[in-house]
Amino acid sequence: MTVHLRKAIDIALKDLIRSFRNVFGLVMMFLVPILLTAMMYFAFGTLFRGDGGFDVPLTRVQVANLDVPSPQLGGFSAGQILLEFLQDESLSNLLQLSEAPDEASARGAVKNQTADVAIIVPSNFTAAVLEPEGTARVTLVQDPTLTLGPSIVKGLVSQLADTFSGAKIAAGTVARQFGQRGVPVKPQMFQDIATEYATWAAEVGQARADGMHPALDVQAPLSKAEPRSWGAEVAGLVMVGMMIFFAFFTGANTAGTIISEQENGTLARLFTTPTTHTAILGGKFTGVFVTVLVQVLVLTLLTTAIFGVHWGMPLTVSLAVLALVIVVSGFGVFIISFIKTTRQQGSVLGSVLTLAGMAGGLFTTSLSTPPRAFEIIQLLTPHGWALRAWKLALAGASAGEVALPVVVLLGMGAVFFAIGALRFRKRFA
Amino acid sequence: MRVIDLTLKDLRQLVRDWKTAFFMVAMPIVFTLFFGLIFGGQGGETDPRLPVAFLNNDCSSSLSASLLSLLEASSSIRPVVLDEGSAQTASELVRDGERAAALIVPVGFGQAAERLASGEAIVDGQPMKATVIVDQHQASGQTAVQAIETAVTRLLSAAQIARISTEAFEASTSFEDQAARQAYQDQALALASEAWREPPLFVTVEKAVVESELQESPANAYVQSSPGMIIQFTIHGLMMSGMIMVLERKTGTLRRLLTTPMTRAQIIAGKTLSTLVPVLVQETLLVAVGQFVFGVDYLREPVAVVLVMVALALWVCSLGLLIAAFAKIEDQVHTWSLVAMFVFSALGGAWFPLEITGKTFAAIGHLTPTAWAMDGFQNIVLRGQGLTSVLLPVSILLAYAVVFFALAVWRFRFE
Repeated sequence: MTVHLRKAIDIALKDLIRSFRNVFGLVMMFLVPILLTAMMYFAFGTLFRGDGGFDVPLTRVQVANLDVPSPQLGGFSAGQILLEFLQDESLSNLLQLSEAPDEASARGAVKNQTADVAIIVPSNFTAAVLEPEGTARVTLVQDPTLTLGPSIVKGLVSQLADTFSGAKIAAGTVARQFGQRGVPVKPQMFQDIATEYATWAAEVGQARADGMHPALDVQAPLSKAEPRSWGAEVAGLVMVGMMIFFAFFTGANTAGTIISEQENGTLARLFTTPTTHTAILGGKFTGVFVTVLVQVLVLTLLTTAIFGVHWGMPLTVSLAVLALVIVVSGFGVFIISFIKTTRQQGSVLGSVLTLAGMAGGLFTTSLSTPPRAFEIIQLLTPHGWALRAWKLALAGASAGEVALPVVVLLGMGAVFFAIGALRFRKRFA
Repeated sequence: MRVIDLTLKDLRQLVRDWKTAFFMVAMPIVFTLFFGLIFGGQGGETDPRLPVAFLNNDCSSSLSASLLSLLEASSSIRPVVLDEGSAQTASELVRDGERAAALIVPVGFGQAAERLASGEAIVDGQPMKATVIVDQHQASGQTAVQAIETAVTRLLSAAQIARISTEAFEASTSFEDQAARQAYQDQALALASEAWREPPLFVTVEKAVVESELQESPANAYVQSSPGMIIQFTIHGLMMSGMIMVLERKTGTLRRLLTTPMTRAQIIAGKTLSTLVPVLVQETLLVAVGQFVFGVDYLREPVAVVLVMVALALWVCSLGLLIAAFAKIEDQVHTWSLVAMFVFSALGGAWFPLEITGKTFAAIGHLTPTAWAMDGFQNIVLRGQGLTSVLLPVSILLAYAVVFFALAVWRFRFE
């Protein structure tokens, strides 16, 4: 028994040394996951500044102010107020504003990609503000490839439009209620109402701009995880997906050495030795297990060191590591048991692992509201369950909370391994 | 002619490996479909608006009821009422990604909002506030919190208008009693809340597209994923050609070609063509699938699309030749091809629009040839522009191709 165990260990060690000497293997195990995580960290991790603001590219805005000022009110122009609002210094890190002489120029600037958004203030804007039944539409023309910048501009313009709308609604409500009760409205009253409302709206607007809405308290979702930077959060989520994907890749490729040894004839020669089939296959499978374990441990430690990722409570993380390594090893043995030649290996592994990874949600780990159907599909794959376990760990879950995905993964790993081992025993009997 | 013979020989080798060829076409189609479904299907199966949990603990207040009505009128979010549950349940829903945000209205909020309209502080000097639970690091969270703020601000506005109207009436005449005053104020609140459902001054958004069909067509989730996956898998495809060149170098076949009457330039030209042809075939198939399966209108400007495809293919070939020039063994071709694919795809906006990344990343990304290829495709399918709009992206892609070719030819070894 001890002799066979020693031989199995020797075989495992030999495979381990070969795995870690293979440059391509090392690149796929470590370099590519770290590279992808670093790129995502660089792309999104620096998006939010520590002061609560965000560091997005400037949105280039062209404003065509066609508004006709009111001569009765000394040239009052709601369009000019909108323009001055957008030109405020506090918005200079978000908007790069310029004025267009007319609507066609503003639209043309967006089509020529010299502007991201054009704001067309209609000629009846001031009139609509002053007339009781007046309505007006401010048109935003945006570059169709953009989303964030135009939504920022829309939010700002809507905020000001709401101020004017509120004053009109106030005047209209007073007029209607007074009219219903037969109480005459003094002409100056509408002006006073509008002024009072606008003062209130400006105070609320300022409070909103300072992040202190008078009636709302904005909080982050409860999390048991330690507070961490947005960059670390991005890196953690991306690395979870990458680590699981490339762990499955490593598991299958390491198990695939059985096929290459069979083709080279070294496996057949091994079977002629006094070493039992069980010891030989056991050594191979142990090699798979240890290779994946080393990969997962190194990646978690590297991401902690480089990106400051806190993986969660030690026991929870340990369970997630164990479950992942077991299901990856089992799945690797299972999938390789269906492959006959090394030529098949590349295309079959590539497509199966990529499709399973996609279905398991590994490429969309930071998606906040996935479609319901997709959530169901995820749970049909070992990748989806592994992702669930690791996301819980990242969120600070206890060992008890991660028990279900861990048990499912261990079960899947055992079943995959059993089927794969059985098929190999039949093949090499 | 010899160049053509060499090209055909390499092409025959490639075609023999039909599984890899199938992979080069099938995988981008699957990825395009996947990302298009995922990012096009967010927010709900029938209602595309972001779901926001709404927990109203102040059911007796008409003001709080008006809030639900204002949320339902939003174009960005749809409230999903939580019949029972605590703040913790709502928080978990947001944390687990099932809701973009949660809005919890505490008991007494309606009364507090009315007092806020009067400028009075409540409850030991602290105003009573509704709680919004949201991850503001997510784009959906940002959209949700903006929409909630708008709805709540309009609610406060309605309360403010009710107070203004009531005080204006009191200044003009007087109420019979307190009940009449309350009835007047309630009516004012109802009128103002109703008016906010269709505000008199509003903002509409148009997309700047040249053709009216594109303006009117529903948003197509595949217009990002289709060109993105074409670009990514075109780069991936150069792995095959690189492998052939490296194998031929290892086995000495490439050196033996030098003993033939073919010049080095002819050999390199033949190798380049043997990469260019499958890349163009791959691109053509994927554009066709994009057009007829995913509804991405590439064929509205066929000449412009062909120009971008050819320029992209030439750059990819030059990249493949460069990798083959430096690689000594097949594993190196594998590694560098994969790294190139990931780096250029991510940096160039093939996976996600550069607009949603940080400033520095977006700036660097726009230096890559892949970003220009994306610009070229998106000028046609998203911006609805014509041939002139692709001239700049095509020129830059060709410039990159020239530089890469020059480097590759300088470094290329036949043995």
